[in-house]
Amino acid sequence: MINLLKKEFSLAMHPTAPIFLALSAMLIIPNYPYYVVFFYTGLAIFFTCLSGRENNDIFYSMLLPVSKRKIVAARFIYAVILETAQIAVAVPFALIRQSMDIGGNAVGMDAGISLFALSLPMMTLFNAVFFGSYYKDVKKVGASFAKASIAMFLYIAVAEMLAHIIPFMRDVLDTPDTEYVPEKLIVLAVCVLIYATGTFFVYRKAASDFEKQDI
Amino acid sequence: MSILEVCNLRKEYRSFLLDDVSFSLEEGKITGFIGRNGAGKSTTLKSLFGFVRPDGGSVEFFGKPFKSNEDEIKRRTGFLLGEVNYYAGKKISAITRVTKPFFSTWDDAAYEKYSKMFSLDENKKPSELSAGMKVKYSLALALSHGAELLILDEPTSGLDPFSRDELLEIFGDLCREGKTLLFSTHITSDLMRCADNIIYIKKGRIIYDGDMNAYTDGYRVVEFDEANELPHEKLIGARREKSGYSALIRAEDVDEKTQCRAATLEEIMLHIEREDKT
Repeated sequence: MINLLKKEFSLAMHPTAPIFLALSAMLIIPNYPYYVVFFYTGLAIFFTCLSGRENNDIFYSMLLPVSKRKIVAARFIYAVILETAQIAVAVPFALIRQSMDIGGNAVGMDAGISLFALSLPMMTLFNAVFFGSYYKDVKKVGASFAKASIAMFLYIAVAEMLAHIIPFMRDVLDTPDTEYVPEKLIVLAVCVLIYATGTFFVYRKAASDFEKQDI
Repeated sequence: MSILEVCNLRKEYRSFLLDDVSFSLEEGKITGFIGRNGAGKSTTLKSLFGFVRPDGGSVEFFGKPFKSNEDEIKRRTGFLLGEVNYYAGKKISAITRVTKPFFSTWDDAAYEKYSKMFSLDENKKPSELSAGMKVKYSLALALSHGAELLILDEPTSGLDPFSRDELLEIFGDLCREGKTLLFSTHITSDLMRCADNIIYIKKGRIIYDGDMNAYTDGYRVVEFDEANELPHEKLIGARREKSGYSALIRAEDVDEKTQCRAATLEEIMLHIEREDKT
């Protein structure tokens, strides 16, 4: 698997992927729907799969002494590394944003624990829709990403809306990280669990679809 | 033990059926896989290596089923589907560096030897290589991980006559080193030069699998002026030529009166495919 991951990062990774990680800095924009930062992770994964199609990445991988299932596993691990790296890079920017004396985010969730927590189900949704569709037909990268983008933007719209409607989200989660830390950490733990189990099951389904697919 | 044994391979598409495909390869021989475009050559080859999932049949490499021995089989086999066109923008050295650790059998000395033999420039990218050089790079990779069997899908198509000749010479050398080669092509003159055996696929079915010379010896070409000059039931795929007609006839149907000459593989293919059309 290490060799396959080396292949993912040195041959398959699209050059925009590390650039998009830097977009975590958008969390210091005073007022912005910060969930959008995590949309760029999906965009990096999409570009990697798209350039993979143009560069016959799957054909190359199939010639290596690895199973089809392992090829899918490597791409999922690559995606999970990018997604968690996006959050990791975002943390210091969230701290900077919180230290700014300009009040909370006027257009959406504050940059903080809750935002990171609730971005995890969004990335699970991306993985489910994008990889769920992509591994049924690896040629249809664009269509898979279009579906995943719609799902993500719907999630963002609903999540931001609920942060204004549901009292727990408005009064507990969407607050500075000096407040309600235990509650936020519980939500974070639940979201990590959703992300880990959700992505794992999406991987299993994708691997099984890919095994059935003719290249 | 056969180096590759394919039994009753079957793959059904909406408009094409690969049906009951069976053949085996003799070790240390070059086998040509022929058939017109769309006959099922690529589908068959892709089914061998798991690119296409067959609906039925079995594939055994080195006496072992592919599915349960995929890693070992891929180490011992080189599969070249056309020219190398993966990671066209990356340097060859980068692709080799990533490929190498996958193969416990990788031999640096062999890679150096073949790189030198094929005049490969490590700093070039696949996009900068000619079609012939791309095939040579793929061969260098396969031979460096100790491939005993090389499966090549149309390796000579798109090459100029000189590059084709050079590649065929390499195939001959590899065969003398004990490698087994299976390569598909519709350039039958290439096979006349280097193949020992042929497998002929037509409309998804194998119609011949065996010695190439025995196959070509089994037919003669008859040339005549008028279409009704010879008994039609014995002629195969009569076609109009620049002057007169030509047809194929089985060697056993040739009598003393019949004026005929030896048939090339291309002529046999042309007349057999023609026969089906008429």
